Amino acid sequence: MPMLRGFLILVLFFLFGEALRLVFLIPVSGGVLGMIGMTLTLMVKGSVSDSLAAASQGLISVLVLLIMPGVVGVFFTADQFSGQWLAVAVALLVGTFLSVLTTLLLMKFLVQGRNRSQAND
Amino acid sequence: MTERLWSLVEVLSASPTLAIGLTLGAFFAGNWVFARMGRPLWLPPVVLAAVMLSATIAILSLDYARYQDGARWLTVLLGPATVALGIPLYQQMHHIRALWRPILCTLPVAATLAAVYAVVIAWALGATPEVLASLAPKSVTAPIAIGITEQLGGSVPLMMGGLLITGVVATLFVDLLAGLLPVDDERILGFALGLNGHAVGTARAFEISHTAGAFASLGMGLTGVFTALILPLVFHL
Repeated sequence: MPMLRGFLILVLFFLFGEALRLVFLIPVSGGVLGMIGMTLTLMVKGSVSDSLAAASQGLISVLVLLIMPGVVGVFFTADQFSGQWLAVAVALLVGTFLSVLTTLLLMKFLVQGRNRSQAND
Repeated sequence: MTERLWSLVEVLSASPTLAIGLTLGAFFAGNWVFARMGRPLWLPPVVLAAVMLSATIAILSLDYARYQDGARWLTVLLGPATVALGIPLYQQMHHIRALWRPILCTLPVAATLAAVYAVVIAWALGATPEVLASLAPKSVTAPIAIGITEQLGGSVPLMMGGLLITGVVATLFVDLLAGLLPVDDERILGFALGLNGHAVGTARAFEISHTAGAFASLGMGLTGVFTALILPLVFHL
């Protein structure tokens, strides 16, 4: 029962995000707008209720389950890759490797630089 | 008797229960096999589960569109689940405040390059504009990426495939590079997982720690918003 109350809050924020998206034609999904709204609301409110924490933990722990039906689609639409699969595979593998490397190096460099300048202060 | 057995799939798939049962079953089976294999990093449970689920659907000769229709009862929960990511985000706000400057500097560069690297490589190898448009949002979480791909004129199933592969390899590369560079700050690892590997990376980050998970949610959310706003502008240049 308390978990359902938390779920209701999540659904309401999602619907609110969808409404924002549709009314103001924002090219961002309702879920992300709802997530931003949720974070801002909690920052103003200053605490999370137990029911909301329980509902969010429950949903986050099954995130993988929720993306599975989309994932399965890969195997049934694989023929769309035909002819260009090499370009697609190299782009995904090398591109992702480079972008992960960039993110880690950039963050590492900036966080260390920050720590060093703080130590000097 | 055999005939009635075969028509059973046809009858049962009329209700979403079959699709939900198959998906749940594959989810638990995937986790079980993953644990039995000693939790290999290169083969996440989501891939194991997806392979088993696809095989089952093919064996039952269940129509994929019909499966997808029933599974919508699960996928609609992705919306509220995305909202739920705002709660760890709030709970970890003190960590995020401490790192807001590196985060804001890294985000535009890394999120842009995540798309640019892939598009440039695919373009150099002779991919068509439709394929390029399908690859561009590869690091963006599925609900947002669908919108972007449609706007750019790409193929949604191709994009979903690229999205999954990106999520899995991003998770592998973060684990690999964390050891090589080395990076042991779980806030940085979480952020890199969410920025590059969207929901798959975020699920992995929550396995590392709550803090890593919160940074992954942040990375995923910011990348989604940023890419959705910038990519349609850049792509038409």
